[in-house]
Amino acid sequence: MARPSLPPLPDPFPRAFRELLPALLATRGRFDAGRVERLRARRAVLSQSGTFVGHRRYVRGDDLRRLDWAAYARTGELFTKQLQEDDRRAVTVALDLSASLCCGTPPRRTAAMRLAAVIAGLALARLDGVSIVAPGASNSLVRFAGVAQLPQLLEHLRGLPIASPPPEAAVASMLAGDAVGRVHWISDFARPAGFRRPLLGLRRRGARVTGWLPTVAEDEAPPAGGYLRVVDPETFEDLRIPVDAPFHRELVRQLTLLARQQDHLFAEAGSALLRWPAPRDDAPRLRDHLPIVAALAR
Amino acid sequence: MNLSEPRFLWALLALPLLWWLAQPPRPRQHVFTPHLAQWQAAMRALHRRPPRGSWLRWLLLAVALTAAAFAAAGPSRPGTAGAERLVVLLDASASMGAAAAGEPAFARARRRLAQTLAQVPASVDVTVVRCGGELLRRHGAAARALQDLGEPSGALAVDLVAAARAIADARTAVWTLTDGQGQPRLPDVGALTVFDTKGPNAALVDARIEDAWPLPELRLEVDVVAYAEPRSDGRIAAELLVAGAVRPLAPTPVLLVPGQVTTVPLSLVRRPAGGELRVAVRLADDRLPDDDGRRWRLPALPAPRIAVLADEEAGPFVSAAGEALAVEVAGEVVAAHAGTEVGLLLADGGLVPLAPGTVRALTFGSRLDPAVELAPRALAGAVEWDRTLALTRGLDLSELRVERCWPATLPAGEPFLWVIDGGERVPLGVVVDGGEDRASVHFAFRLADANLGLLAAFPQLLRRAFVRCYGKAGAIAATSPGGGAVAAGETDLRTAARAPDRPLPPFAVAERPLGRWFVALGLLALALRACVR
Repeated sequence: MARPSLPPLPDPFPRAFRELLPALLATRGRFDAGRVERLRARRAVLSQSGTFVGHRRYVRGDDLRRLDWAAYARTGELFTKQLQEDDRRAVTVALDLSASLCCGTPPRRTAAMRLAAVIAGLALARLDGVSIVAPGASNSLVRFAGVAQLPQLLEHLRGLPIASPPPEAAVASMLAGDAVGRVHWISDFARPAGFRRPLLGLRRRGARVTGWLPTVAEDEAPPAGGYLRVVDPETFEDLRIPVDAPFHRELVRQLTLLARQQDHLFAEAGSALLRWPAPRDDAPRLRDHLPIVAALAR
Repeated sequence: MNLSEPRFLWALLALPLLWWLAQPPRPRQHVFTPHLAQWQAAMRALHRRPPRGSWLRWLLLAVALTAAAFAAAGPSRPGTAGAERLVVLLDASASMGAAAAGEPAFARARRRLAQTLAQVPASVDVTVVRCGGELLRRHGAAARALQDLGEPSGALAVDLVAAARAIADARTAVWTLTDGQGQPRLPDVGALTVFDTKGPNAALVDARIEDAWPLPELRLEVDVVAYAEPRSDGRIAAELLVAGAVRPLAPTPVLLVPGQVTTVPLSLVRRPAGGELRVAVRLADDRLPDDDGRRWRLPALPAPRIAVLADEEAGPFVSAAGEALAVEVAGEVVAAHAGTEVGLLLADGGLVPLAPGTVRALTFGSRLDPAVELAPRALAGAVEWDRTLALTRGLDLSELRVERCWPATLPAGEPFLWVIDGGERVPLGVVVDGGEDRASVHFAFRLADANLGLLAAFPQLLRRAFVRCYGKAGAIAATSPGGGAVAAGETDLRTAARAPDRPLPPFAVAERPLGRWFVALGLLALALRACVR
């Protein structure tokens, strides 16, 4: 049988959403950045501005603007200036780009993109910066600072490809950037066992992780009848199943068990898993996204 | 493989249809889900399996359809060209009984025939013709089983060369099995198997026997011939053996000229109990024992109970005659009472009411019918007797004088003794034949009225009368009993024709239908398909 093609993905940020986003960012509410201050003491992030903390021998590839010419005049050797980052609160948004998010009506990936845009937009509007971690993309870690970069943020999110790296790749990308902060991990967590070690690893490093799971209608109400060909979008493994009432009930039970496994996974890692019911139509409404803001304020 | 109805192979075009029908139904709706593991777990929880096609099941169905199509097309394995009939000319003449290495040639021929016929294809039509002795023909299963072919005997009265030529053609193979005896040459067509029987042989060609029944004397003349390398004097030393129901006789040595029949006379005395008489000629290293001897079954000699009846006027002659006869024929004299079973009745005078010819009796002047009037008659003429009759042949009765007689007492019968009185032939003795095994002899005078008892011929006449009363039913034929004649050309085992053996030609193998095998294959495939899930 021919390999089916993934359903087409709609534009995650249509005009209506872009018009909705400023109003959403203007809502009053507190944004919990977490224990960034404690992390800052342990962080040494290279920055264009900040407090001078010392020198380091120049190595090829270093930014020439950071060369300390005075030290060169005194010693005849090249040193770069090491500056401590300014007091800045940061948020990391890890986005799952796997093909499994392409399922659902509308696709879960669209909801995930909008969710990331809302979280990142609130971070830009109310904090200093946000790091978008998207393992599998050509640039898996991109930082944004200031609400002025919101259009770039949206454009960056729109351009992310479909990729299926393991969850460990997301953790590696986060730790490579140093700016971990509060981590918002957006995924479908369809295979909870694969997220256990990454979550525990982040916990050992002091990161606070919030899992975001955009839910679609099929999560709670799978097909109740018919002769279906069920396809895994990542492996394209398929299964022909005649669905009847007993099977539907059993499948609902299995999905409930999966939800419990997901909750148990995050509880074990000391994190929270938030489920956001994705809007089922293409007309974004403010009230559908307010729960995100409310959840971020908690 | 040949197909008689190849048009049925068009049924194979249904294979793609079967393949299409064997496919599981295709779902019309595709559902992408990240929860495929949960779908699979639900299936496992309900012990369900997804509908799927089985290549093995389709393959077995395709095999069944293909086998059915080929079975309907009439498949067969092509046959091979060759003879379709086999005619076996089996020499069963007497010489085939000659033994070599302890086994007769006929037995070797039968064994060889049985072994070969077992390998002849079943489609070949087999006929076995027994040549020699009784001509027999066996066909089909009876031929393959060599049923009732008998034993070698008689002469080979068939020209094997002509028979083989007449039978052999493109479709018929001929196989001749012979020892070459009695044939100037051997068949030059068809297969040939020659059994070597060359060697010395002696044969009892003929035998003549003269039986003195019911007396024990037996005279035998045996014609013997031998074929072997002679001694320096040109003779062949052999022995004639007599055994069985006669008094023991030592082997009689005979000297025979090669190829020349020699007659050997033998005088034997039978044993009263009877039994088998065996006469055989014995020659060293004789190859063919079947023609060496003859056998006769000798009945037991009669041991008569002789009763003597004599009136008051009778002299002692009849009693003395009874005693002497009893001694000679191993009988006994018993008292003549009513109800006593007797073998021979001697009566002298008186009234003896018996039916002539029905009772073995010898009467002298006895009246058989009470109604007959006794009128003695004096005779003056000379006595005459039948000189050709066995009863009186060779006897001298010219001194017989009869003082008076009662010719009226004689029953109707064959007269053997008479007197010419006044131109009238007056019978004095008659024989009444009552069949093959009994007769009665009657005289018209009493012993006391004649001098018969004093004649030298009387004992012999008495003995012959006894023999005549018993007839010849129990006697052995004067000549050799039938079936023992040795065929000419079957005794001299030194002159058999010779030719190299020739093998059988290849036989035709008929087309072998293979339809049943295809049917079995199709059923097997369907049975396996029923077991495969």
